[in-house]
Amino acid sequence: MKEITFDALRWMEEPVRIKIFPDGEHPRGYFQITSPREVEGLCQGRPVEELPRILSILSPAHHLASALALDKLFGVEPPPLAVTMREALLQTLFFENHLRKIYFLVSSRFDPLSSSILPGNGTQGFPPSPHILDEIMSHISIAREAVTLLGGRSDHPLSAVAGGVSRYLKEENYERLSHIYESCLGFSLRLGEFLRQEILGKDQALSDLGAFSMAPMSFMTLSEAKDTVILRGGLGQELDRFSPDRIFQKIGLHRESWSYEPLAYIQDHSGGPELKDQVGLQAIFHDRCFFVGPLARLNQDTALTPLAEEERQRLLGDRGPLPRFDLSSAFWSLFLELLQAAEKMAELYKKENLTGPEIRNIPTEMGREGQAALESPKGLIYHHYRVDEKGLVTDIAVLDTVTENNALRCLLTQKTAEIALTRKHTTQEMKNFLELVLLPF
Amino acid sequence: MPKKKKIAVYAATGCRACEQAILDIHYQVGSLTRWAELSFWPYILGSEWKKLEEQSEIDVCFFTGAIRTSSDRQAALRLRDKSRLMIALGACAAFGGLPGLVNMAPSEVRKESREETNGPNSRTREKGEEPNLPRMEERVSALSQVVDVEYFVPGCPPRQNFLWAAIQAIAFETESPVRLSFSALRLPQAMAQAITSGVLPPKGSVFSGERAVCASCARTKEKKQFKEFARPWQKDPDQGRCLLEQGFICQGIVTREGCGGVCTAAGLSCRGCFGKTDEVFDPGPKMVSAVSSTFDSDNPIEIASTVDQFVDLAGTIYRYTLASQCTLLSSP
Repeated sequence: MKEITFDALRWMEEPVRIKIFPDGEHPRGYFQITSPREVEGLCQGRPVEELPRILSILSPAHHLASALALDKLFGVEPPPLAVTMREALLQTLFFENHLRKIYFLVSSRFDPLSSSILPGNGTQGFPPSPHILDEIMSHISIAREAVTLLGGRSDHPLSAVAGGVSRYLKEENYERLSHIYESCLGFSLRLGEFLRQEILGKDQALSDLGAFSMAPMSFMTLSEAKDTVILRGGLGQELDRFSPDRIFQKIGLHRESWSYEPLAYIQDHSGGPELKDQVGLQAIFHDRCFFVGPLARLNQDTALTPLAEEERQRLLGDRGPLPRFDLSSAFWSLFLELLQAAEKMAELYKKENLTGPEIRNIPTEMGREGQAALESPKGLIYHHYRVDEKGLVTDIAVLDTVTENNALRCLLTQKTAEIALTRKHTTQEMKNFLELVLLPF
Repeated sequence: MPKKKKIAVYAATGCRACEQAILDIHYQVGSLTRWAELSFWPYILGSEWKKLEEQSEIDVCFFTGAIRTSSDRQAALRLRDKSRLMIALGACAAFGGLPGLVNMAPSEVRKESREETNGPNSRTREKGEEPNLPRMEERVSALSQVVDVEYFVPGCPPRQNFLWAAIQAIAFETESPVRLSFSALRLPQAMAQAITSGVLPPKGSVFSGERAVCASCARTKEKKQFKEFARPWQKDPDQGRCLLEQGFICQGIVTREGCGGVCTAAGLSCRGCFGKTDEVFDPGPKMVSAVSSTFDSDNPIEIASTVDQFVDLAGTIYRYTLASQCTLLSSP
């Protein structure tokens, strides 16, 4: 059988190509990132204070992670108002990111632009729901408006700076933010009803795909209260916990000639802490793979806000105990975090929380090194900078979710291809299957 | 009823913000499909290249992202070949954008980056065939450095009003019943006329303002006397006062307006994502000239001391435009 190539997958934020070689004892599937990101080339030589603006090209949350790293580099604590404004921005980014993924899920079996059923989807499945899609898009739009108010711009925010944020909110912004959180929270509850009735429940439309499950594997999250990275195994057992600045001692990067993005894997230092641990792809797939993001955070089993906790109990009742590795739980975890973000926005957006005497503490001196980790909507991210005496970047290391989940997405591609070929799916059905499996990661 | 125009949307190297902007407009105006057929859009529709080949012609292609790989170049050539009108959407397609900064990276960083992926596979190969990767090009290019481009919609990402103006003027031409409802927000005359009359604007038109960002920046401009170079980490700017006058490098004076001064309103300097104005030949020398002419000293030692404070001028002034608007470094 001839090789199968998918040049264009819906909803992938990175340039991606899938290649499947169906022949042989085991068919092989490749998940390729086909364009480099070149963070080092972009950032080396730049004044370090410019990095929050430059790195927001990776995702808006990188803007915040970069500002946190600058706080460390300049040795300055942001005032409480700035901390709250940054947190409000982060929660709004969670809401927007997850709602967009849910939009893609809800519209997955039809053309969202014309509401016609896409080829390869038959007539069964999610009904075309223009009304719910309109509501989703309208709330994405107002969430983006809130990001603009809090971050200065929506796609590439810029307001977080070393030691705080760059501007106060205006008087009229408080009322608008209040309307936004009310609308977002109310809509989240309606959306939950819709998702449970139509998509996420046991017997609903996702049930055939929802049963799809990856093999239990390790997952990594950030415990923000203690600024500690926690790595757990496939049974949920704690494997390791460490300070974020040791992340590149714990996580290795493996390169393959067929992808511009390295694959992150768990380092094994059993041969000694100084021994450089280099592993092959099969070893990574066997037991060194890990993932980050909403499903990893769900599996971390930490307390949530009240409505999100209720939702989590529904998830556990429907799908079973943690840790979960099935597709339905992965999508459900997106909604769960969306609901939690809406609840947090309701609290953080209150005028008394977004008012204060200072928005920024000006740094008085410059250090030579700064690092920070952050749980972004897509998962744990980490920034580490070194600068020269003028504050120009000499070294930069950024760990992003695209790298962290790369091995997982390669594994999912392989498994999905095997299932689709066994079930004799058409090429279009295989593509649709792949798009849905990769979407929550 | 006139035939709907066929539209293609494609992203090369960059992020998805420009495509999100089109999707947002689709919902804000109650569906673009009322006036146009979105017939090729990999990100939203999963359109494969064979889908493009099946079509006789695309009326308008909105191309986002910079040209970084051979795959980006091929996509630009194929879409140009099929499309009657080619639009560079966003700073990356229009000028090379942030990805273009790598053209200035130390040669060893660029070489290492290319060899890691373009060179022979030095890792353990599994049995059997492995897929190849699009080759990384020597340098990042803007779309117009690779193919002929009719129109530009700059910004990182483009502002909604100009994107909507471009869609109406170029993709709808006379077919949009809502065209007259558009309030021309300081649009250049050619674009406003295109929307109201249905006549395409002149080739090369840029969907943005015509003057510099300073014209729409709300900060008060008094007297430009550059006493010191200030870096954003060192001090907070005075609220409401021109950033350049306070010593911050701000490209508002050489950059096209159209953003509404969104960055300066947030207390941060303009970094030029709308590209240079027509009056400016090269934003680098223009900025250096503008700043140095306002040094508040006649003493050569003081001036030299001020000059020494500047850091990474090229990476700052050409933040979004290095690939195409820096005379010394832009490729032909």
